[in-house]
Amino acid sequence: MADRSAVTAAPTIGPVHLTMPADPSLSRVARLAASGVASLSGFTIDEIEDIKVAVSEVMVALIEHGAQQPLTVTFQADGPRFTVRGTTAIDHFDTEHPDLLLCRTVLAAVCASHGIDVVDSGAEIWATIEQSPR
Amino acid sequence: MSEPNTEVLTADVSTDGTIIVVGDIDMAGGPVLETAILSREAAIAANEGDKRDVTIDLELVSFIDSSGLRSLLGAMRRASERDGRVVLRSVGPEVARLLEITGTVDHFTIESRRG
Repeated sequence: MADRSAVTAAPTIGPVHLTMPADPSLSRVARLAASGVASLSGFTIDEIEDIKVAVSEVMVALIEHGAQQPLTVTFQADGPRFTVRGTTAIDHFDTEHPDLLLCRTVLAAVCASHGIDVVDSGAEIWATIEQSPR
Repeated sequence: MSEPNTEVLTADVSTDGTIIVVGDIDMAGGPVLETAILSREAAIAANEGDKRDVTIDLELVSFIDSSGLRSLLGAMRRASERDGRVVLRSVGPEVARLLEITGTVDHFTIESRRG
């Protein structure tokens, strides 16, 4: 059985909050920030690639399906777990939209868990990536 | 002083008609790629009726997300309608992985891989 105790020594970093306009070109900025946090937390290059994909998918969901209002993305590395959480205002959020389903397919493949919560006039999308046992 | 490079992605058509992509194919880059693909498709329709394939060189692409993938899938659908193919050249591991996890890899002709 894998010894998971080794990965619990990873540091806790964050939460790091980014608030930005709903501008597609800022997706790259969010990926770079997430990469930095994950790197400091000891995630491997492959794990960081997964984190970058997850962050990008969260940005896609918020910008393409939100109300073009400012959005906030939060990163937190907590031991072997990296969580990205994004929120924005919405007019209407079609969780069955085909583009969003493609987005969720990718999130399901690269993340240990993910979810989309729609409450009142806002949407929250979160995804968690876990370090593999060292 | 030189201008800052704010371009997130470039997609230029080479002399042999191959679309050379440089950068990240994400929400910002996808529309740039889409424009290049549509331009290439227009050239095929106007001048090169015997050629039906769109070839895209991904040597310098190390990131793609679902929004970028949609540009490739759109090109694939249009290519199918004219009995053509979308040929992907120098596909890196990041692009290959996204194609595989979304179950779309078989929709494209992978000419070569790298990494």
